[in-house]
This record gives sequence, structure tokens and C-alpha cells, in this order.
Amino acid sequence: MKNFNYTITDEIGIHARPAGLLAKEAKKYSSKITIHAGEKSAEATKLMALMQLGVKCGQTIEVTVEGEDEATAVEEMKAFFEQNL
Amino acid sequence: MKDKIFGVLQRVGRSFMLPIAILPVAGLLLGIGSSFTNTTVLETYGLMEVMGPGTILNAILQVMSEAGNIVFANLPILFAMGVAIGMAKKEKEVAALAAAIAFFIMHASISAMITIHGGTESMLSGATASVCGITSLQMGVFGGIIVGLGVAALHNRFYKIELPQVLSFFGGTRFVPIICSLVYVLVGILMFYIWPVVQNGIYAVGDVVLKSGYFGTWVYGLMERLLIPFGLHHVFYLPFWQTAVGGTLEVGGQLIEGAQNIYFAQLADPNTSVFAVSATRFMSGKFPLMIFGLPGAALAMYKTARPEKRKEVGGLLMSAALTSMLTGITEPLEFTFLFVAPLLYGIHCVFAGLAYMLMHLFEVGVGMTFSGGLIDMFLFGILQGNAKTNWIWIVIVGIVYFVVYYLLFTLLIRKLDLKTPGRGDEEEVKLYRRSDVEARKNVTNGNGSQASDEDEISAMITQGLGGKANISDVDCCATRLRCTVIDAVLVDKELLKSTGASGVVQKGEGVQIIYGPRVTVIKSNLEDYLANVEEMPKDNSKANVKENTETTVEVNAEKSYDKNSEKVVKSIVISSPVNGVAADLSTAPDEAFAGRMMGDGAAVVPEQGVVYAPEDGEIAFVFDTKHAIGFLTDSGVSLLLHIGIDTVKLDGNGFEALVETGQHVVKGTPMLKLDLDYLKENAPSIVSPIICTELEDNQKIRLLKEGTVQAGEALFAIDIYE
Repeated sequence: MKNFNYTITDEIGIHARPAGLLAKEAKKYSSKITIHAGEKSAEATKLMALMQLGVKCGQTIEVTVEGEDEATAVEEMKAFFEQNL
Repeated sequence: MKDKIFGVLQRVGRSFMLPIAILPVAGLLLGIGSSFTNTTVLETYGLMEVMGPGTILNAILQVMSEAGNIVFANLPILFAMGVAIGMAKKEKEVAALAAAIAFFIMHASISAMITIHGGTESMLSGATASVCGITSLQMGVFGGIIVGLGVAALHNRFYKIELPQVLSFFGGTRFVPIICSLVYVLVGILMFYIWPVVQNGIYAVGDVVLKSGYFGTWVYGLMERLLIPFGLHHVFYLPFWQTAVGGTLEVGGQLIEGAQNIYFAQLADPNTSVFAVSATRFMSGKFPLMIFGLPGAALAMYKTARPEKRKEVGGLLMSAALTSMLTGITEPLEFTFLFVAPLLYGIHCVFAGLAYMLMHLFEVGVGMTFSGGLIDMFLFGILQGNAKTNWIWIVIVGIVYFVVYYLLFTLLIRKLDLKTPGRGDEEEVKLYRRSDVEARKNVTNGNGSQASDEDEISAMITQGLGGKANISDVDCCATRLRCTVIDAVLVDKELLKSTGASGVVQKGEGVQIIYGPRVTVIKSNLEDYLANVEEMPKDNSKANVKENTETTVEVNAEKSYDKNSEKVVKSIVISSPVNGVAADLSTAPDEAFAGRMMGDGAAVVPEQGVVYAPEDGEIAFVFDTKHAIGFLTDSGVSLLLHIGIDTVKLDGNGFEALVETGQHVVKGTPMLKLDLDYLKENAPSIVSPIICTELEDNQKIRLLKEGTVQAGEALFAIDIYE
């Protein structure tokens, strides 16, 4: 399992559009990608669950990646977050 | 490259239209106000008793005169803002504000530089002027255009800029006025050194123009007419009307630059005895041409039309001729022969030059606000008295023009068998008849839609421009719809012409469709249509073949999948959460939603301010910003109800949540209250995607309702395949 922390810089947090992007990105990998925010967590491929987290700007989240392609997936996800959130 | 320059020039010309559009009303105020407060005029018409100095009427007229005058006096800043608005791609209001700020800052910087270098005394006389109360360089509307174009460029570059966290408050559109302020301090300093050189250049050009005499006037008139088919005439005549290129003159102790400015300054000045022909030579020529010449051409076309066609052709020509005579808007008439008989247009251009020249020769001093129709001729010619304006020559030359145009057009049309309206084959008659619409309607919408006529025209325009996805930008000037398309190959000129246009000009990605003054209505309808209606029906459209947007390809793929796949085992129906209008999701004005990136479903436009629970289910979440609700139906479908586009940015304003996260609701329970007026004003769109976020591969959306929909009525179905 691999993981990293990321602090959201997008002004509006994880709302519909970035969540959609994130879910789409996460579906590319066979690994299970999970977003942890405080007490709650959500599978990154599940759009509803992601939005339900209600992640805001400035909040730090933990992303865990577990599966066959976790090495590449974790790097790609990092890049994705830096670019989009 | 050439096409690109044309595209940019076209945009610049188009951006002039907003400030130019204010001129007629300002001209009317000033024209009526100053004419009837002028004691010479009053004495001539014996009106001293009724409206001489001291009467209430006189006071009102004085106010009118001043109100009109202030517009002409401050055109530079109006152009700065107007051009910025016209050239800015989005968030135009920010560009307008930035332009006003930049304009003040530039002139204030210049003013400071002048003071530092020894004040106005050390400058050439006439090089300085008071601009909005700032003692600055006399830059005329060029000053405004420099600001407008620069601000728009900065705006388009920076309006989405992201700044580091600590400065993020100043990011995005807020950054635009900031960067513009800084840049225009520098521009101001620079202008102090550069502008005097440019000014000398302009004076030199103005001098050449002045010395060019009658021949110069002819060339001016010829050029102006030649540029009309390209829509670039505004760019051409504006420097003559508004800057020293068109001459300078001292009026009432003030140095005035530009032909139109000179005319109106003289109009406002009670001491004017004769209007300066050196200024009106750039304007008066329009009168005989537009009031007399072109109607003569119209009559010729009517007479030469085949007898059985005369009635319908007559209607078209009559209205076009009247438009030309009354308002001086000539394109509807000119375009009826420009495309079918370019030779006639060539001759028309030569005569246009000649008209200007003759007016110059006979010292006709009639100005205009915007073009040379009867209204302007009455106000600025007849009313001012023949002694001041020599307006009688307009009529004399005009009658000759009418006869010459009539005879020449008749002769050439007959001799060369030119296909002017009513002379060609059936289709060639460029008249937009109801039967055409009906025929077209049946072809494009076999199932018989309930769309109105306006929508039908909009639909045809959309199709002619290669489909909604191919249209990058829609705007209009006085007579033409000006569009920019993404792929020029997809444009179908014939189809566009058949929408009632008198002509279509295409240069690369820039497309102009000429309709005449009713174009503003057509433009609004088209915009409404584009905002509300789904992609054009694909069956017989040319665009379909070359369709290149990913979205549509996906959709098509899905549809074929539907047909080929096994049978549906189950369907879940989702109802509309609002009273409003339903459409395919691909019409949502947002790539992410329209591209079905977040899921599939439908787009609805709420018309009443309440969002109801579409089915029995649970509120999965309400965003803090209240613009979207996650909804889990009891049948197990995850729905996202996203109200409006980009409404996340409103921070909850315009929304009121009536439910809480975790609450179970029955179908029809009010969930959100919307302030529709606020949303329409502040969000890019109130089109609201209603989507299923977690569809399995064997689940497909089937839209059940398009057009008006009531809350609770079936909106779409989720078909589950084997």
C-alpha cells in the first residue's frame, strides 16, 4: 500500500466537477484508491461518496493506493491533485 | 494569416458598434436641442415667442442639447470601454471597469509628465486638451481605442489567473484592473514621448487628406463603399470622423479634431454661420446616395423582375429601400445585388465616391450621427437652413442620382441578364417565405416539432454554421450577424442564405450573415436557442459526417450500442425535480457535464424557484454552497442535482436549503428554494444537470421528456440490460 497527504488549494474544494475528474482518473487504475478526510473516507471512483466528504480548501486529505499498479498510480494521483485541486 | 487579420479586424470593427450605437440618440438630443435654442433658427421660423430664451421649452431644449453634447465630448472614454467590452471574451463587465480605470490612469500619467516637463506652455499648441477634466495630450478616440484594445488583451490573458494562496483574493478577474492600472501608468509615460510623433504623423495625413481636395473626397467615398462587403467600413471611416485625420478646426475657441466632432461642435455653437465643408465632405455624400440613388436601383430591380415575381420581390425591395431612405442603413439593399451582380456593386462604389465629391463641390455642410437617411438630413440639413448647409443640393444631385441609378441598373440588368431578385430560377429569389420554413422544418424535424418560427430560423443558422459545437462566438452589428466558427469547412453558405439573409460573407473562421436592422432580434433568438436547445438533429446534416467532438462520437456510439445490445430487463424512471424545460444533457453549457464526465442524465432549466425530490429517497448530502444535492433514491440510484452552471462560486447566495443531509424524503418534497432572478444574473447559466453518477456498464439513460416539464413528471429512464 502507498499513501500521501495533500492539502487542497482549489478555492471551492472537492465539488462536483473536480470530483468527476477525480473519479474518472481513479478508474484508470486497477488499484483501490481511497480518499480519507478526517473521520470519513471514500473510494475515489465513487463520485457521490467523494462529494459527500465535503472537502474544503485548505483541508488536508490522505490518499491511499492499494493494488497491482500502486507504484504508478500513486505518482499519477499526486500529479493529478497538484494540477486539479 | 490574412484570414486571421481579417478576423481580428472584424472583431475590432464589431467592438466599435456599441459606442457608435449611442451616437444617433446623442445626435438627436443635440440636434433638436441646439437647433431650437439657436436664435437665428427661431427667428427664421418665427418661434421666438413660443420657445425663445426665458421660456420653459427653451430651458428643456438647452438641457437636451447639453445632454447630447456630453456624449460627443467624451467619446474617447466611451470607446475605451466599448472596445474593451467588445474585445473581451468573457467577464466583459470587468473589462469595462478596467478600461475606465486604465483610461483615467493613462491620462493622469500623461498629465503629470506634462507638468514635470514645464506644463502645457512648453507643448505645441493644440497638442494638449482637457480629457474628462485632466489636462492631457489630445489623443481623440485613438486614446480610447488604445486603452480598449490593450485592456481587452490583458483581460483575456489574465482574467483566470491563479495567484499564490496569500494573494488569492486578488486573483482571477480582480487581477485585471490591477494589472491594467500598472500597465497604463507605463503606457501613459510612454505616450508622453511617443504620441507627439504620432500626432505629427496624423496631422501630416490630415494635411494630405485636406490637400487631396475633391479627388481625395472621391477616393474616400469609393473606399468606404468598397469596404462594406467586408464589414470593415467602421474601421475605415472612424479615424476621419473622430480624429485629426479628418481635419482640425477651431470652434468657439476650442480646437476640435475629427469631421463629426467638428460638425457637432459647430452645431452646438450658436455663432456658426456656415458649417465647415472640410469636415462634412466625409459625411454629406451619403445623403444623395442613400435617400435617392439606392431607391432608384431598387425600382430598377423591381421593374426588371419577371412579372409573376414582381409582387414578392416588390415587398423585399420596398422595405430595403425604405430602410435606406429613412435610416441610411443600406446593406439590405446593397446585398441584394452585391452577390448576384458584383459589377453593379462596383459601379455603385464609383458613384458613391462621386456623390461625396459632388457634395464637397457644392459645399454641402450637412453632418450626421451615424448614416445618411432622411431623419439626419432633416435635423442636420433642412432644419439648420439652406444658408448654413446648402442642403438643397442634396435634393438636386439626389434626383439626378435617382434617375441615373434607375436607368443604369435597368440597362445593365437587361443587357447582361443579371440575376437580381425575381429574375433567376425559383431558388434564386432571396426571399424568405413561410413555405420555405415549413419545407425545411419537415426535412430537419420529421416528427413535427412544436418549435416556433424563430427557433426554426435559429436552428437553420446553427446548422448552416456547422452545428452548435462548431460555433465559437456570436455577435452582431447594425445589419449583420457576425460569428466565429471553429471549423470553417462545416459552414453551409447556401443554407445560411436561405434563412432570409441578403448575403453571406466568409473569411476563414469569420462568418457574416447579412440580415438588415432586424439582426439584433435574430441574434437574441439564436443565443436563446443555443442556450436552451440540444445539438441539431443529426440525420441529414452535413455537420454530422465531419463531426469531430468527442461528446457526440460517444453519444452515437452509445446509441448504436443500444440498438445492438440485448433486451432491456428493467427500467428505472427518474422524474423531474423542477417545473421547467428539459433537454438532452449534451446541451448543458459546460463541457464536463455535456461530455457526461460526471455521469449521464438530463439537463433541465428551472422556471420556478423550487427544487422538489424527484423520487422517494434519501438526501445523501447538501453542499455547503447549497447549489447541488446528492440524492439516493429508494430504488438505489445515485443522483446529482446540480442547479445551474458554476453556481458553486455563488457561495450559497440565491439558494435556500429546505432539507438536511441524511433526511429521508418522499417524492415532491421541496428541497431547495431558488432565487431565479439572482441566479440568472450571477451564474453563467441556470441549466441544471440532473445526472446518475454511478452507472454500470449495462445501464443506459433514455431521455423521456424534452421541452416543458412539470416536477414529478418522468424525465429519463435508466434501462438496465442483460
